[in-house]
Amino acid sequence: MKRSELVARIVISTGVLFTIGAPIYMWTRTPLIHAHMSEEGGWTPDILKANVGEPLQLHFTSDDVMHGFAIGQLDMKAVYIEPGKVTDVSLTFDKPGVYTFFCTRWCGVNHWRMRGTIEVTGDSSASEDASVKIPLYVSLGLDIDAPHKSPAVPEMQPSAIRGKELVNNLNLDRLVVPESYKSTSPYQIFQQLDPASLSDSEKWDLVAYLWQTSSTPESIANGKKLYGQNCAACHGENGAGDGVFADDIAAAGEASMQSMSGAMDSMMRAPADFTDPKRMLSASPAVLQGKILRGGMGTGMPMWGSIFTEEQIWDLVSYLYSFQFEYEK
Amino acid sequence: MRSYLSLLLFATAGLVVAFAPLPVQPVAPQERTFQIDARQYAYSPSELHVNPGDIITFELVSNDVVHGLYVDGYGVSVEADPGQTATLTFVADQPGSFRFRCNVTCGAMHPFMIGKLTVGTNHWFYRGIGLAILAALGVLMSTKRNA
Amino acid sequence: MAKLELTRNRFIKNILVNRYPQLAVFIVMLVGYIFAILAGLIGTPVGSHNFSIVFVWIAWWAILILVAVPFFGRGWCAVCPIPLPGEWIQRGAVLAPPDKKAKWLNLRVPRMFRNIWLQNISFLLLALFSSVLLTTPNITGMVLAGMLFGAIGLSMIFERRAFCRYLCPVGGFIGIYAQTAPLELRIKDKQVCASCVGKPCYNGSSAGYGCPWDVFPGGLTKNTYCGLCMECIRTCPHDNIAVNVRPFSVDLAKPSSRIDEAFKAFIMLGSAMIYACVLLGPWGILKDAAYNVGTATWFIYVVAFLATIFGILPGFFTLGLLQKKSSLPLKHRFASLSTALIPLGLMFWVAFSLSFVMTNASYIMAALSDPLGLGWNLLGTANMAWQPMLTTLLAPAQTLALVGGLIWSTRTAQKAANEVNVSSLPVIGYCFAVTVFMMWLLL
Repeated sequence: MKRSELVARIVISTGVLFTIGAPIYMWTRTPLIHAHMSEEGGWTPDILKANVGEPLQLHFTSDDVMHGFAIGQLDMKAVYIEPGKVTDVSLTFDKPGVYTFFCTRWCGVNHWRMRGTIEVTGDSSASEDASVKIPLYVSLGLDIDAPHKSPAVPEMQPSAIRGKELVNNLNLDRLVVPESYKSTSPYQIFQQLDPASLSDSEKWDLVAYLWQTSSTPESIANGKKLYGQNCAACHGENGAGDGVFADDIAAAGEASMQSMSGAMDSMMRAPADFTDPKRMLSASPAVLQGKILRGGMGTGMPMWGSIFTEEQIWDLVSYLYSFQFEYEK
Repeated sequence: MRSYLSLLLFATAGLVVAFAPLPVQPVAPQERTFQIDARQYAYSPSELHVNPGDIITFELVSNDVVHGLYVDGYGVSVEADPGQTATLTFVADQPGSFRFRCNVTCGAMHPFMIGKLTVGTNHWFYRGIGLAILAALGVLMSTKRNA
Repeated sequence: MAKLELTRNRFIKNILVNRYPQLAVFIVMLVGYIFAILAGLIGTPVGSHNFSIVFVWIAWWAILILVAVPFFGRGWCAVCPIPLPGEWIQRGAVLAPPDKKAKWLNLRVPRMFRNIWLQNISFLLLALFSSVLLTTPNITGMVLAGMLFGAIGLSMIFERRAFCRYLCPVGGFIGIYAQTAPLELRIKDKQVCASCVGKPCYNGSSAGYGCPWDVFPGGLTKNTYCGLCMECIRTCPHDNIAVNVRPFSVDLAKPSSRIDEAFKAFIMLGSAMIYACVLLGPWGILKDAAYNVGTATWFIYVVAFLATIFGILPGFFTLGLLQKKSSLPLKHRFASLSTALIPLGLMFWVAFSLSFVMTNASYIMAALSDPLGLGWNLLGTANMAWQPMLTTLLAPAQTLALVGGLIWSTRTAQKAANEVNVSSLPVIGYCFAVTVFMMWLLL
């Protein structure tokens, strides 16, 4: 064979082999965590391991739509994971345990199922948190699955603004926030108010005022933000249980649930309507916290216990009542 | 000489058809709001019509994943997560037909997720028809002479 | 007719005849092609950030349909890497012919397949699956690999470039559109060929190989089947072959009477219109139908697609031909006059392609920096935002292309009609109608 032919063959073979080999090599050396819509597999891998005090370098990419990443219970600022691009995250844990990470941008009706865990081993440098906090509804022994239909509902939307006026005008300084606010429903407070001096609607206004003063404006604002990001897609931007996924969830619930009693079924299949006074006014904050923490109930309601901090859930709960009561801006 | 003259005539007519400003019926600008639902891979409604000068607000509601809306020609855009309606307001001061498209990768057919906004009349389409007529006539006439 | 012989210039002639420059280009193309296959198979599944989708369906397609075909005819075929590995194996050499000829089957392609029907079918197959093909990297990777290995396999069974000439879906339309291009390869003097013994341009010699495109250069009058590979210039002992610049669409003055080519014109015209409607239109239901391969709606889409291309478009066209009684058979008139659809179809594709290329060209820089979606940033442009380019110029440019196409096809229709003695008016009317429809779809 002529020398030119040999050289040409060598150049071609080298070029082709390099073109095949180098990318494959680089690809095997790049550990990526792929984010997919839950139906296509969610996080792969979805179990990560780390050691206390050692930075964990994570490289995420999305294989389909926009996703996000955050770790539950840490109130961490979410990181966006864009399709086709790589996002680097560096995490350092100072306490061992099992952390849940989750997707923070809605990626389909099963977005909330897109979760994984990081198992962190090692000795804790911080002081040990000895006890696991028992949720309020558990310590109160409340059955959060029990139906809660309010026997009485206001004729018009109660207003905390009118309630405040009433307090000022009538000098009602004995009206304080009961210690047991969290375990009492608005209806129960309504019932406890002295019937003689006030009309029903005035009493409801006072209840609204009480509810507003039991939380801070910052907490309600934070609740609103959390609601928009996490709840509105199913429960509706205006709380009416008519979010963009409401129909899908109702259909899925119908398919998967065994029929119990008719009325209860339809109530449980679609996302809850927070604008329904019958449901909301007989729900205490503890019950709402419980439902958010535990989810389930045979519906598509996610379990948020490993995701939200306790403070975040109380913020959400205080926001939820604003669908029932007119609050001062 | 004659053929140069007719070529000039057709060329001038062509330029007029292509670039002459069209008579605009003065319609008072309104504020228009549209709720646009976005899903993989279409907008609903996908064809909108407004008048030049209207102040347009799009309320983008994403029905499944994060979608965006980018308007060709105007270059304005907005993106919405499901559960969080996003609004985009702009003045439709340029007449014509403009495609709007998704600008957040939302799956395989994302590059073809397209809608159409017409401000006033789709004048390029009519100019195009005019130019096509001129073109066909021009060729026919010039070759009839040469034949 | 003015012709500028490029090969008269010694520098140009050397570059074309010398095997090294061509080999250098071949190596770059082959390496790029293989990388595209790899990117498709192991890179990110997100099309807009994968080298294979961005470089095949945006960058390469843009260069092909906007530059290579209109100005260089089969210029892409001259540098295409698909036939190369197979051809090198078939020839037993990468450069000049070896002393010992390689022993492969070298069968002649059966007569039944020596037309462009297989190419019509292969193009249609890609077109029917195009929504998935254009957006899914691993599908693109597999199709590219399939063509490469298909070409290798065919080279070991058949003689010459059987894949390129008879199977390649791209070659089918590049060939007929090449007739409009201002570049050609032709012999200089017929008498020289008549007295040439052995015809090494077709049969090969120690200087080079016989035409891989199964074309006899001495009889070459149109660009349709010449792949500009330059072998004949290397083998011709009489220096009788030249590469010329010439006016546009000279070849269309000699309309073809082949039905396979006529239907190719309709396939291309129809596909451009259907793509404009489905991919660039605001009708989501059509995109669902085109994308969800295997569903009932997709089958309806397929039937509608094929009915348009094989029924509606040629049907209306033929109606226009039936007007006048002519001595020539209908088939002949049909084939000749459909030549008018060649420049029209080309400009339809230019107008259609301008839209998605200008919209998505900004992906090219990002794909160059991070071709596999692994987080690289080779050129620093990995995070370049998507930004449609020159959108205000798009409508005028598309209008210009379509009106230009109409003028061109009207002239072609007149010349073709002259040859077969019918009135060109019905065909001109047809061209006008489809042009207006395409304007409505795109603008």
